[in-house]
Formats: sequence, C-alpha cells, structure tokens
Amino acid sequence: MSLDKHHLEADLLALVRSRGADHARVDADTDLIDGGLLDSLLLTDLILHVEERYGVAFDAGDVSPANFRSVATMVDLVLGRSPAPQSA
Amino acid sequence: MKWPLQDRPVPDDRIPLYNRFYLHAPRASHVDPTMVWGTEIDADALQVFLRERNRSGKVVLTTAHALIRATALALAQYPALNVRLVGRRIFAFRDVSIRTAFVHRRTGEIDVLLVAAADQKSLEQIGQEVWQRLLQAGRGKGPRDRDRGRLRETSPFWFRQLLRMYGFLDRHFRLPSVGRLDELRGGAAMVNDLSFPGAPPIRSYKPTRFPDPSDSLNLTLGAIESKVVARGDGFAETHVMPLFVRADHRLVDAYQLGRFVAAVRDLLSHPERLDAPAAAPQAAPTAAASE
Repeated sequence: MSLDKHHLEADLLALVRSRGADHARVDADTDLIDGGLLDSLLLTDLILHVEERYGVAFDAGDVSPANFRSVATMVDLVLGRSPAPQSA
Repeated sequence: MKWPLQDRPVPDDRIPLYNRFYLHAPRASHVDPTMVWGTEIDADALQVFLRERNRSGKVVLTTAHALIRATALALAQYPALNVRLVGRRIFAFRDVSIRTAFVHRRTGEIDVLLVAAADQKSLEQIGQEVWQRLLQAGRGKGPRDRDRGRLRETSPFWFRQLLRMYGFLDRHFRLPSVGRLDELRGGAAMVNDLSFPGAPPIRSYKPTRFPDPSDSLNLTLGAIESKVVARGDGFAETHVMPLFVRADHRLVDAYQLGRFVAAVRDLLSHPERLDAPAAAPQAAPTAAASE
C-alpha cells in the first residue's frame, strides 16, 4: 500500500483513539508519553499495525521516545522508512 | 542446558525456625504459607523520572521496566529472597532474573518473559530487551511461540499428565532448564504491571502462585491514584501507586519480606537510585538471631 501522510495519520489516530475515553481526544501532536497514554500494548499494536499494513519494518532499537512521542512523530518515522514513490 | 540453582541447598542454620515450621508442616495440616504485603509508592517521583528519561533517552521506558530493575536490585541486596523450594530444601538462584507478564498481542493471552541477570543490566538495556521480546511475540516469532502452539494443541488429558510428570521432577530434583518454556524457572520473582491506562484502582490484590515452586515472589503494581496528604500546615494532593508483594513463609518471614518490600519501595519512590549499581548483599539473619 502506498503511503499518504494524511491517510497514515488518520489511520494511526483512529487506532490510538479506539483505546478508550482517555485517548478519545488525542490529536496528531498530543504527547502520548508525557500524557501517560502510551502503554506497551498500544505501542506494540502501533508498530505491528504499521508493519502489517504498510510493510515498514521496525526493530527494538526504533522504540525510542523521539519516534513514538506522538502520532505526528510516528508518521514521520514511517514516511522516512518507506520506499520513495516511483517516478513516472 | 543450564542449572539455574546453586549446587547446595541453604543450610538449616540459615533458615529461621518459624520458616521451618511451614517448610516441614505435614500436608494434612493444610497450611497456607502465602503472605501478601500491600504498600504504595510515590508515583509523582516515578512519573517525573520516567518523563525526564523519555525526554532524552533512546528507549521508551515504562513503569514495568522500573519495576523489573527495582525488584532485581532489591533481590541483589537481599539474596535470602532469591531462592526457591526443591522438595523441602531451599536453593538459591545463581542469577537475579526476573519474570514479567505481558499481553501477547497475537493470541490476546497473557504470556511471560524472563529478563536474565536483571541486576546487571541498566534500565535502558532492560527496556530494549523487553521491547524486543514484545515485538517478537506480536509477530508470532517469539522463541516460545512454537512451543506454546504445541502445548495448546495438547489434549487436556496429556496436558495434565505432562504437568504432573514435570511437576514431580521439578519439585524433587534440582533440574537444569533445558528449553525455551522452562527458562522461566530461572528466576524467583514475577513482576506484574497493572498500571495500564484505564485500569481501575486496586484496593486489595492477592497474586496467585503459578503451579511451579520457582515462583517464590510476586510483585504487582497498580494504577496511579490521587491522595490528599498533610504537608506543613495544610493539605496537598499527591499521587501513589499500590504495590502488592506475595511471598512464601517457607522461604522468608515477615521481617525479611518487610525489608525487601521497603527496598523496592525506596527504589521506586527515589527512582534515580535505579541507575546505581546493585548494593552489597545484606547478610541474612541466622536462625538464632531471628528467634
């Protein structure tokens, strides 16, 4: 699946917001770590969701606060890892 | 193949007399040696510490990682608790290894992983190791996943026979750990972080003991709660996390357990101490001194 920034952001936001009332008001720039919203299950789900849906692979070394602080930083990480679109 | 236990059992003169009452109680007495100590830790200090570390660190750190490290350091300080039963003898573990429970993302079940020699690893090393195992399990490529799959397919009858046979050998012999499933027998303590977002407050919690005598201790951390405390002439709001510790009176008495719980509580309430190397072991009280 090709990666579109807005589609990816909406997809990850939907996954985060589905976690319950505390997560329902999260936006792309919400600090998930400082807000105590990023537990191990959500983080693992986010990584595996991206791997399965977009084919972007991660390892344990990628699980850094800089990469997973917010949905926006995750989107940047995924876009930076995905293959560049083929030019026509 | 690895022998997780020391060669010789703890000598009788190191076992407090009241522990020996429980240790040698006849089965007909139906004695319950389980003790649970509930306390609370300063959640504000731990949260500030984790926020700071997550601001500049290379690994996302959570309360679970802090609990693993704190438990390992406290066990290194009080090695008399880093033990298990084999029959009616007590053996010390060679390493301070900690088990922790997690939700297996692929199966939706609880699974357990072992952080070996956790007292020798930094908080970041523990964090990275745990994340690696969680991701492997989530992909269905964890080292234990194939074995778990085979066990799940085993009929209830053979499952029971397997448990009986393995349990008999494990209860009576100082077995080596030979595979991925029984590597979990390499540690005395299981930690459980139930402070996930949305978890209800815990007033009381009695962790079960896994049907395996190596599960000597369990430490469970609950969700953050607000509390009003007297401070100076007034009142202030503070945040705490409940901590429940389950122990076995055949292995430790309430005094030993209290000192251990105090060490864990101190480390989690002053989390900067989690970065210090393991403290020198405290001598276990002799049987005569504890009477």
